Amino acid sequence: MAAQWGEPAPTRQERIQPDKSARVLVIPALVGCIVALTLGIYGRLHSPTGVAVDVIGFSSPGTVKAWLATGAVIFAVVQVVSALVMYGKLSFITSPPWIGTLHRWSGRIAFIFTVPVAVHCLYALGFETFDTRVILHSICGCIFFGVFTVKMLALTRKGMPNWVLPVFGGLAFALLVVIWFSSAFWFFTTFGISK
Amino acid sequence: MKIKTPIITLLVGVALAVVLLISSMSAVSAKKAALAAASSSAAASAPAVTASAAASTAAASAASSAAASPSASASTSGSFVIPPHANYDGEVQGNLGAVALVVHDTFAVAYFCNGSTIEAWFSGTPDNGKLNMTGKGAASAGATLTANYALGHARGTVVIKGVSYVFSIIAVHKPSGLFQSIANVRGATIKAGWIVLANGTEVGSLNPDVNAAGSVSQAAPKLDLSTLTADDGGTTITATAIDAETGTGLTLG
Repeated sequence: MAAQWGEPAPTRQERIQPDKSARVLVIPALVGCIVALTLGIYGRLHSPTGVAVDVIGFSSPGTVKAWLATGAVIFAVVQVVSALVMYGKLSFITSPPWIGTLHRWSGRIAFIFTVPVAVHCLYALGFETFDTRVILHSICGCIFFGVFTVKMLALTRKGMPNWVLPVFGGLAFALLVVIWFSSAFWFFTTFGISK
Repeated sequence: MKIKTPIITLLVGVALAVVLLISSMSAVSAKKAALAAASSSAAASAPAVTASAAASTAAASAASSAAASPSASASTSGSFVIPPHANYDGEVQGNLGAVALVVHDTFAVAYFCNGSTIEAWFSGTPDNGKLNMTGKGAASAGATLTANYALGHARGTVVIKGVSYVFSIIAVHKPSGLFQSIANVRGATIKAGWIVLANGTEVGSLNPDVNAAGSVSQAAPKLDLSTLTADDGGTTITATAIDAETGTGLTLG
């Protein structure tokens, strides 16, 4: 009986997937460093003007920034919680299908909130070193944007080790919290919470 | 090739930053233009501040008639706006004390103190955002203060008896600012200065005898900001604000 063997099922033609390697981080890390350094150097060399564009509805540039920063932190918390759900770390919550969308959008909104604050800070106040609070704020502010850049660029690359996103995401969050404590929190506790 | 969404996020952020930076720069030049326009229209009514009582009433009326527009030419220096009237104060680097700077047209007064034994008063003439001030009065002789000031911000160095104090301070408004009291207490002329910082903290020193060569300063008694009085060992002394916005106190001792 001549069994007619059909063509063998096509085998997967892809190469064996290369090991995930941290080497894919080199370029994003480099870009992140350039971003952080550029912000810091601009902040230091540019002479602060004490004034920048005003936003209507708030009593002063200080309150605009404090509230925007607080908004950014709130969305960042949503970021962290949604990440925990996505990674299955919150076992009592089943990951809904929209969790990824929530994570991405809360992140985008948080980031967009930080941009006007950072522009005002760098343009009107500069990179200051006259006391510990401002040194911490200035340094963390620059590093935050570098870390965020790395995280965004890392998302576009394949073959990234599994620790990259949680580490950079967590780092971005931690830095944002330090930035918020050294500015908005100080502002609200010094001048009171007002619009 | 489809651009990946994280890149879009970054690009949107950069675009927003660029837009805000450009509008900030035009906001600063608009402010310069407004100040320049106001100063040229109010230049005719700017009185020269001369001495004590006459000065404070003249300055007060000039300030009230030109409330929104300064009564001396504002100028610009690079990307800075140099205000004709401004109060600045803040701590110096290294937690070594505080400094206050008051600029009003052709007068500038400054004060440094560490809340105890080190203090100095300065006077000088503003020069387009630059200040080179010298110690005012025998007790502050030899001290110098150099600074650059602009809208919202001032930076400089105080040197007292060979020790440098670097500062980078912000513009402040009532109730923060600089206060001074000169009074006769227990037969001697005392001179006290208080710097009220933007966060409400008060730093003040008091010279118990301005006419005695070796007089050592001490911590000033707490100034009550609602009454502008303080209690110096049983004697109530009254303080005056040295304030650029109202033009008061600039020609005190």
